[in-house]
Amino acid sequence: MVDWNLALKIFAFGLSTVFCSLGILIAAIYAFGKALKSFEKGQ
Amino acid sequence: MLDLILTTGVIHLTIGNLVMWLIAFLFIYLAIVKNYEPLLLVPIGFGILVVNLPLTFLMEEGQGLLWRFYHFGLEWEIIPPLIFLGLGALTDFGPMIANPKTLILGAGAQFGVYVSFFGALFLGFNIPEACSIGIIGGADGPTTIYTTVHLAPHLLGATAVAAYSYMSLVPIIQPPIMRLLTTESERKIKMRQLRPVSKREKILFPLVTVLVICLIVPASAPLMAMFMLGNLFKECGVVKRLSDAAANELMNIVTILLGISVGATMSAENFLKPQVILVFIMGLVAFAFSTAAGIMLAKFMNLFIKEKINPLIGSAGVSAVPMAARVSQIVGAKADPKNFLLMHAMGPNVAGVIGTVVAAGVFLALAG
Repeated sequence: MVDWNLALKIFAFGLSTVFCSLGILIAAIYAFGKALKSFEKGQ
Repeated sequence: MLDLILTTGVIHLTIGNLVMWLIAFLFIYLAIVKNYEPLLLVPIGFGILVVNLPLTFLMEEGQGLLWRFYHFGLEWEIIPPLIFLGLGALTDFGPMIANPKTLILGAGAQFGVYVSFFGALFLGFNIPEACSIGIIGGADGPTTIYTTVHLAPHLLGATAVAAYSYMSLVPIIQPPIMRLLTTESERKIKMRQLRPVSKREKILFPLVTVLVICLIVPASAPLMAMFMLGNLFKECGVVKRLSDAAANELMNIVTILLGISVGATMSAENFLKPQVILVFIMGLVAFAFSTAAGIMLAKFMNLFIKEKINPLIGSAGVSAVPMAARVSQIVGAKADPKNFLLMHAMGPNVAGVIGTVVAAGVFLALAG
């Protein structure tokens, strides 16, 4: 017997985690890109 | 005399063994003659052949040689992370850092993983088995193997072979879906040349990524940490020997062990089941949906962004590096021979690897 509650939890949590983690990574790439630019300008 | 005959394998052969020999010969033929994933299909095919020789006891628990490869290599989680170390040392994240929004396409292409997950549940598989089947849609062999060994080791042969087979069939599976979901004018969209990425950015990327991903999905750490370590070796420039070893010698050694261990799990009694055919069907469904989702997400993003992206690069989010990116380039070049999409497609392509590892981490955390 399939535990559909767990299946739905895996789907919802899984897909949102994939998008959130890659979204945060995008933000981090932009952030460290900007930080590097200002650091290089300061040098 | 009879006792002597009984010690030979010949009279213990079963029809199942013979069928598996045919499958082994088919794999070796496809690898050598058709050049389909030869680095894996040759050792897998040979592993299938020898594990289906009666009385060799190569997979005898605690004794057999191939059992030791399988147990210490795969069950102890050694081989897939080492493969990721080598992949990291071979991967250039530059195109993705230059255009970070393509990371979202790598996430979108994981949609097929969940379609196939539910498909497998409806076909009667349990949750851990469905996770192992769904992850085929990520088109990432080592991640599929890593997930299956944890969640449904009895399906390892089927999921691994399905993942690698579909990866080699990317140029056949993806183009019809890409053409179906895009218009001629969309396929002709030209993308601005990517900006150059500095060495500092490339060095920082693996450090930032390992922090972000492993904090959010700790279960993905074994694969993600090794992936990013390999990439740091490559980009930092001060450990060229380690980078070369990870990308070449080590990668080759673990590929041999991986291939023969996977093949060794495919004994007749394990593999000749109706379940295996369902695994292959659901794997194909996962692949097709992942391709379609990547393209549709790119089209959706185009509704909101100024600089349009060519939706063909969305299909590269299924990983299968670099084959899927090459397919984007080929299909794009057919619409406009002056359109160069390869480097743009490498962004979602490598992002797809990260996305698949995250999806696998969630499966392991919740279904393991």
